Amino acid sequence: MKKILLLLLFLPLSLLSQAQEDSLQANRYVMRATLYGAGFTNILDTYLSPMEYTGPEIRILRESMRMTKLMNGNVSVQSLFQAHLSLTENKAETSNEMAGMVNWNYALHYQFRLTENLKILAGPMLDLNGGFIYNMRNSNNPAQAKAYVNLAASGMVIYRFHIGNYPLIARYQANLPVMGVMFSPEYGQSYYEIFSLKNGGKNVLFTSLHNQPSLRQLVTLDFPIRSVNMRFGYLCDIQQAKVNNLKSHIWSHAFMIGFVKNFYLLKGKNKVAMPGRVSPY
Amino acid sequence: MKRNSYFFISLLVSVVLCTSCITEDEYDNSPEGNFEALWQTIDRQYCFLDYKKQEYGLDWNEIYSQYKQRISKGMNNEQLFEVLADMLNELRDGHVNLSSKLEYSQYREWFDSYPANFSDSIQRVYLGKDYALSSGMKYQIFEDNIAYIYCGSFQSGIGEGNLDEILNKLAICDGLIIDVRNNSGGNLTTAEKLAARFTNEKVLVGYMSHKTGPGHNDFSTPKAVWLEPSLDRVRWQKQAVVLTNRRSFSATNDFVNRMKILPKVTIIGDKTGGGSGLPFSSELPNGWSVRFSASPMYDADMEHLEFGIDPDIKVNMTSEDMQRNVDTIIETAREYLHNHKE
Repeated sequence: MKKILLLLLFLPLSLLSQAQEDSLQANRYVMRATLYGAGFTNILDTYLSPMEYTGPEIRILRESMRMTKLMNGNVSVQSLFQAHLSLTENKAETSNEMAGMVNWNYALHYQFRLTENLKILAGPMLDLNGGFIYNMRNSNNPAQAKAYVNLAASGMVIYRFHIGNYPLIARYQANLPVMGVMFSPEYGQSYYEIFSLKNGGKNVLFTSLHNQPSLRQLVTLDFPIRSVNMRFGYLCDIQQAKVNNLKSHIWSHAFMIGFVKNFYLLKGKNKVAMPGRVSPY
Repeated sequence: MKRNSYFFISLLVSVVLCTSCITEDEYDNSPEGNFEALWQTIDRQYCFLDYKKQEYGLDWNEIYSQYKQRISKGMNNEQLFEVLADMLNELRDGHVNLSSKLEYSQYREWFDSYPANFSDSIQRVYLGKDYALSSGMKYQIFEDNIAYIYCGSFQSGIGEGNLDEILNKLAICDGLIIDVRNNSGGNLTTAEKLAARFTNEKVLVGYMSHKTGPGHNDFSTPKAVWLEPSLDRVRWQKQAVVLTNRRSFSATNDFVNRMKILPKVTIIGDKTGGGSGLPFSSELPNGWSVRFSASPMYDADMEHLEFGIDPDIKVNMTSEDMQRNVDTIIETAREYLHNHKE
């Protein structure tokens, strides 16, 4: 627990000090992955409608992980960027909502290497989110802006295994927002009042587990095909809030596929493949 | 290792306990369910329930009992629409509408029970064939050197450059008539843009609040609404008259409220139609859309404007004048402007 608290202190520091000397160290090995996916979304935003809207979504996820020098080199840093767009419909099929969200996570994980093939990662995460939900039928409340920042707890289990001689890496990750701030109009407040009349109110609110019980879970499986590392993933993205007497949720389930690349960063030179023993992943 | 295990177990427990679903209670898509959903939406979000109770005794709980009796399982969509529309009409609000694929409900008493006080065929006599048209506004200079602008809607934007050109062209006139009769509203920002051409200083024109929760009395503290002059733009400096009738509604009601407070502006015609609640939209389980007033606007004395604004000079079009193709309200405005020529 103490290690996690220390990581909390290091999080802002590490954000400021990214540049490090190239000294052929483990922290120069980088895992990068890009996944593309599609899935299903369920949207509720009572500012726009008391009804749930459901429909398909498309999503992109970019991830990078590398080791740092923090805590004797036992801390890895993860950057996770996601964007998704969905087009949904109410149950009666009379109205549509379009939603678009971008999300960036920056996490520091302490790596507990339990066995040669199993490790557990835990640490703090910065979670930035922004986007919109647009109801195509409403009059003066046609859209809802989404903007929130969280300090989250992040945990990950990575397991390397073989089926026969075929190497595989499975990973489960869960990110739980613990506290943060969120933008929201008040219950019946129009954006005309906020932006044209500049009559604000309680529009920036403190959030925590009691009013923003959200959770992002990601399961991935890495498998090589010849010289290419492929990744298959399932993302369960539960984003919820109850602020200013307004309820909202965006529940997404997406299946994703993409590529994983491992690099050794050398200035001006070619990138070098990453040995398994120093992999941050 | 043991401490680490505790940490991960507690993390897992937190995940399970804290990730409870946030959902809204949804009603069935049945006549009863749709009735309940509509009644509750108005009960929680409509902004004039208490004011209208005070004005004409509206009791929304009583309305529930009264209309619940008219709901039956076997009723068809047309019958359900009729009952729900009747229930909404109890609110006496032109901003409250129910919309299905078949019908669109509208409370019309706010203009149907009053004289029209506008005739487009008579207006054509005044505009002639050589009137100008810019940004959706028709304008003309009458023979007695009084300028006339007809603004029939605030739905579309009005360009600042267009306003400059129009006011420049009309600057030689002795007075200006802005006719907003039959203008049923549109964008508040468009109405504000036009009004900003008639003041040289920042003026308090009213207040606005909004609901902060589902209770009938859950309102934010009303905040001041100001009219600021359109700086570095052409602004009208002479006397002006605004013509109104009962169909001057919603954003036009707001425009008249802004103009009425200005010292060189006079309102002539009939009382405006009101509609001072900023409308929001919602929907029912069967997909019908409902619109309702969500945020009340007040005048500078914190009085409600929901039922309209009285003119400074009340005039109706007379049948004798109409038979002669004369617009009594325009003629009153011309006479007023001549009498108050600067």
